[in-house]
Amino acid sequence: MNYEPSLPEHNDNVSLQHPVREFFVLVTGVLVFVLIGYWALGFVVDVAVDYLSSEQESKLLSKLDINWGFGEESMPEEQAKLQDLVDAFKPCLSLPYPITVSLVKSKMVNAMAVPGGKMVVFSGLLDSLSSTNGLMFILAHELGHFKNRDHLRLMGRGIVLSILAMLAFGGDSGISDILASTINLRTAKYSQSRESQADRTALHALQCHFGHVGGATELFETLQAEEEGIDLEFLHYFSTHPELQQRIDDLYRLSQELGYPTKGTQKLMKH
Amino acid sequence: MESLTVFLILLVLGYVFGKLAEGRHYRSIQAREEMLVRLPTTSCKKPMGKSTPISHAELVHGHVVISIDYFKQLLAGLRNFFGGTVQSYETLLDRARREAILRLKESCPTANEILNLRIETSSISKGGNSERVGSVEVLAYGTAIYYSQASTQHSPL
Repeated sequence: MNYEPSLPEHNDNVSLQHPVREFFVLVTGVLVFVLIGYWALGFVVDVAVDYLSSEQESKLLSKLDINWGFGEESMPEEQAKLQDLVDAFKPCLSLPYPITVSLVKSKMVNAMAVPGGKMVVFSGLLDSLSSTNGLMFILAHELGHFKNRDHLRLMGRGIVLSILAMLAFGGDSGISDILASTINLRTAKYSQSRESQADRTALHALQCHFGHVGGATELFETLQAEEEGIDLEFLHYFSTHPELQQRIDDLYRLSQELGYPTKGTQKLMKH
Repeated sequence: MESLTVFLILLVLGYVFGKLAEGRHYRSIQAREEMLVRLPTTSCKKPMGKSTPISHAELVHGHVVISIDYFKQLLAGLRNFFGGTVQSYETLLDRARREAILRLKESCPTANEILNLRIETSSISKGGNSERVGSVEVLAYGTAIYYSQASTQHSPL
């Protein structure tokens, strides 16, 4: 037996497929898979929310005892006034349970519906509004979220997303990051439709309470005036709320369709 | 959004630097393999020239640890999901195996033959599941034999 020194002509142990191509094929596959899963489970959440009675909901949520970290009430007088405004909607909106309002001192121009029948209003909102009608539209919008049970839907989707990511990748690695960003876009889209729904509910409530829908677009118009000059076009893709102009247009269109008149607004009393 | 940016930067850096390092390593491997190809290295248990007197033999080994880059690791993670051949690890193992054998050969440049070559692989993973770094160790070992002086002149080397 003689040894013949030679090297192999080509390497059979290494595949020739380009790794970048493989990467895109695999990423697309995973995203399609996860989006289908997310969509299907989101549908299940919607069905489950419709089945869940408000008694069951408060029973479930009372066990959670979530601390939202908004601190103690700092403006009891204003808070009581807001509570009165919210209570005034009672005959107009059939809400499943009483809603308590918390006023939080903050520059943020926002309000939110949190699970457990709690509405958080940031004081920046009061500063940006000049009419009671405008404020009541925003309050009614948040009440609309409670009525449509959007807080449960979004929470349910959040849970579904975490579980999906954990099951698939153990909640680590960059893959979860890609996933989270894609799902964020999907969630944003979903939220936009829920927001429009809540706007619709709020418009009904406003008409029922005042007999007209004047002031409904006040906040959006104020915000839009502030945003003017800044190009926010690309942000729209990531935002959970419909674009301001679109929102204003939708509200006008809807009130025309329903024949709701627009009249003068009441001035908001401030301290 | 922020984590996605960091992730994309890591991905591109991993790909670029991984590719550069791999190309450099392969060039070095090929050059050294050509230099050392004339040293017979087999998995046989007995010398090929059975009648050649042997002066002495020794255990020789070469080993290497190579780490994977971020891009390849991610690719393997995605592959985990669907199954199939993990192509992104192929070059890693190929390089490690060849480098280990080269180091083994370089450790005994005056040997006439290396017998009974064995290769062992183990993975080195440090950290928990989330911070895992995929590295591979390849150990090559064998018996280097030296022919006695008189017969060396006739050896194929």
